[in-house]
Amino acid sequence: MTPYLVLSAAVFSIGAFGVLARRNLLIVLMSLELMLNGVNLALTGFSRIHGSAASGGAAAAPHGQVFVLMVMAVAAAEVAVGLALVIAIFRTRQTVDTADISLLKG
Amino acid sequence: MSPIFLVASVITLVSALMCVTRRNPVYSAVWLLVCFLSFALHYLALSAPFLATVHVVVYTGAILVLFLFVIMLLNLREEELGDEYPLSRQLGVAGLCTALFGTLAWPLMSDPALRPFATVPEGYGSVESVGDVLFRQYGLAFELVSLLIVVAMFGAMILAKKTLWNSAEPNRG
Repeated sequence: MTPYLVLSAAVFSIGAFGVLARRNLLIVLMSLELMLNGVNLALTGFSRIHGSAASGGAAAAPHGQVFVLMVMAVAAAEVAVGLALVIAIFRTRQTVDTADISLLKG
Repeated sequence: MSPIFLVASVITLVSALMCVTRRNPVYSAVWLLVCFLSFALHYLALSAPFLATVHVVVYTGAILVLFLFVIMLLNLREEELGDEYPLSRQLGVAGLCTALFGTLAWPLMSDPALRPFATVPEGYGSVESVGDVLFRQYGLAFELVSLLIVVAMFGAMILAKKTLWNSAEPNRG
C-alpha cells in the first residue's frame, strides 16, 4: 500500500507547486484539482487497508470511498464557483493573471 | 509493485508535471485529462470499481469539460496569458514542494502498518457496499452535499451573469 500513498503525496506536492508557482488562474485551479486528487488517492488507499484489516470478522465497509465521493462532490461545486469567478474577473479586468488581481492586498 | 501500478504511476506523475508546467491552459487541460484517466486505473487496482467509474464521469466528464469550456469561452490570446514568476521564485517553490513531499512521504514509508496489500472481501467497493455505507451512515452528509451543490450552482450562475458586471468600471490598477 505504501507506493500508492507515496504517489498520492507526490501528486499533492506537484499540485501545490502549480498553485504556488503559476500565475495563470486557470492553471492554478487545475493544480488545485490535482491536489484534491492526491488526497482522494490516499483516502482510497487507507480504505483498502481498513477493508483488508477487517476482512476476518465483520463485513468491511468502504468508509474511505464514501469520503472520496464527498470530496468529488465538493470539488465539482468548487470548480463551478471558481470558474465563474475566473469569468467574472476576466470580464472586469481582462486578465487571468493572479498578480494583477491584488487590489485587496495590504 | 505490479507492472500496472508502475506504468500507471509513471503516466500520473509525468502528466501531472506536464499539466502544471505548460504555458497554455489548453495543453494543461489535456494533460490533466491523461492524469485523471490514470487515476481511474489506480482506483481499479485499489478495489474501488465504483469510485473509478464516478471519477471518470465527474472529473473527465464534468470538471474537465467545464475547464475546456471556460478556456474556449475566454479565448485567451498569447499576450493575455500573463507573465510568469521569475525562475528563481519557481525554483524556490519547487524546492519547497520537494520538502513538502519529503515530510509527507517519509512517515508513510517508515510506517510498517501501512505496508500490507492484503486481499479484501468479495464485493468491496462495489456499488452495493458503497451505497450501503453512504445511505445508512452518511445520510446527513449526503443531503448536505446536495445543498452545497445547489448553492454552488446558484452562486456560479450569479457570478457569471453578464449584467452584474456591466456597471462596474474596468479598473486597471
